[in-house]
Amino acid sequence: MMFRRQLRHELLKLFARKRTYIGFGAFVALQVMILALLQLPKARQAFDKLLTNNGYLPEDYYAGLTLAMLIIEFTIFLMGALYLALVGGDVVAKEIEDGTMRMVLSRPISRLRLLGIKWLACALYTSVLMIFLGITSLATGVIYRGRLGNLFVYVPHESLFGVFPMADGLARYGMAILLLTVALQIITALAFMFSCFKMKPAAATILTLTVMFTDFVLRNVPFFESFKKYFITHHTSSWLRVYHDIIPWWGIAESLVYLAALGVTFWIVGAMAFCLRDFKS
Amino acid sequence: MISIRGATKRFGGRLAVEDLTLTVPRGVIFGLLGHNGAGKSTAIGMLLAQVMPDAGELRINDCDVFADRATALARVGAIFETPAFYDYLSGWRNLRIFCEYTAPASEERMREVVKLVRLEERIQDAVGTYSHGMRQRLALAQALLPEPELLILDEPSEGLDPEGIHEMRNLILRLNREWGLTILFSSHLLSEVQQLCTQLAVMREGRLLFAGDWRTIGAERHWLRVRVDRQVEAEQALLASGLVEEFEYDGRARLAPQSDVPAVAAWLSAHGYRIEAVHPIERTLEDFYLEIVHGASRGVAASVPDAKGNRPATGTAATTLDGGAR
Repeated sequence: MMFRRQLRHELLKLFARKRTYIGFGAFVALQVMILALLQLPKARQAFDKLLTNNGYLPEDYYAGLTLAMLIIEFTIFLMGALYLALVGGDVVAKEIEDGTMRMVLSRPISRLRLLGIKWLACALYTSVLMIFLGITSLATGVIYRGRLGNLFVYVPHESLFGVFPMADGLARYGMAILLLTVALQIITALAFMFSCFKMKPAAATILTLTVMFTDFVLRNVPFFESFKKYFITHHTSSWLRVYHDIIPWWGIAESLVYLAALGVTFWIVGAMAFCLRDFKS
Repeated sequence: MISIRGATKRFGGRLAVEDLTLTVPRGVIFGLLGHNGAGKSTAIGMLLAQVMPDAGELRINDCDVFADRATALARVGAIFETPAFYDYLSGWRNLRIFCEYTAPASEERMREVVKLVRLEERIQDAVGTYSHGMRQRLALAQALLPEPELLILDEPSEGLDPEGIHEMRNLILRLNREWGLTILFSSHLLSEVQQLCTQLAVMREGRLLFAGDWRTIGAERHWLRVRVDRQVEAEQALLASGLVEEFEYDGRARLAPQSDVPAVAAWLSAHGYRIEAVHPIERTLEDFYLEIVHGASRGVAASVPDAKGNRPATGTAATTLDGGAR
């Protein structure tokens, strides 16, 4: 009962801020921009050519589902990590910076419990954001084309080329969003861990982005090809694998376990830093 | 109520609190005095288990604050120099959030506390619109919600206007007298501490210089102000005569044990000085504080006797409330 109330308050702190909605609004604006860019003649021609060369009719596939997939891919690539790093980096460090953490800790609540509640609130926030993005991407595509249509997915770095009829495509899109929600928790978790150390919220965000960017760059360097299973971004891409003809569930599970293990490690390191540190104005 | 034994805390190479031993009895308003960086906030931080001591033991109501934090802090309320809230939420919602971390308060209790701090009319407004004084009162409300026995106030009058300071002082006195709360009051506003506390501790550079009832310490010694035409010459002559033990700034002098004000006036007159003023003065907390702090900075404590009136031979004049010299 008490735990539920505390969690509700933590969620209220996150969702009562204007900037949360400004952030969500910015995502929608970005999605509309991506849609507009996809209409540029060159982009459109490249898309049509790709499908025609493989024996498909562009008109069958250039619809809501395919656009939703393209929009969410670009949205996550351009702003997903940044936004999650901002939220995760803020959640503890900002409260310490503002002084509210000291007020909270003058109560006999255990630091571990407090951190647990904040972590959970953060995870829920990330989930809400990802599901929101999944829905708005689909809505943007459907509103623009007026129908769901079939799904076409092309992701070169994942060696992925897939076409799916509408029902199957929609189911796979739903699964992909759920997997994305789980996989991207790692970015929030990383930012959360940094946030527990003695640093400014912006520093926690920058560190998180630095780690993710370095990880992404190194993973794409041919020299590290044989080590790619150790890179975070290799595993966060696991959501795309539901678009393979035969879904590699084992590989996806392996990625999720790897991310979960990393997440737990981040949690333990963050909690240790938080529990051992001094709070003083 | 509070018992601190041998608490020591270092931040990197800097010693913030050194071997602090202090006892605060139940039911008093206990002042914690010291300049900025003296170690007051660190001591309070350790008491609230927010700062981990390197050594020592801290107990509230006989419970170790680190071993049994939940019990030790269950009936403790605290406010800090700059009260921080979630500015985008209402005062009421903030109170709910803070109290529900540990002990949810009933609506009735919340209303009672809000009324006590006189925030009824603005409690539903966003805290971002509050003045500093209102934030301070809201902080006091959140500290009072868990029905505390002990209230820890770290510089509560900081940044308040004179009216706000007056109001805060009255509220603290009321909480002590009517609600029976023990209050640990940290400040560097000497006038505030003087009006609120009889018992206090003085810290400097992390060390305890004094703890006890400041009014009884050295009360047997009397002070006077001497203003004559040849001031410097008169001061030296009076010191040589043995009627006065010490001169401070602005003609303030401490009488020798067997001397009195008429004797000094008579002596000055007899020696041809034209007297402008010779009158007894009441010692303020500021005098007492400066006496202790300056004594410590000179490395002597001879001017500050302990609770029994004995002057320590060396070191500082730290005493505990039970009168024992450290």
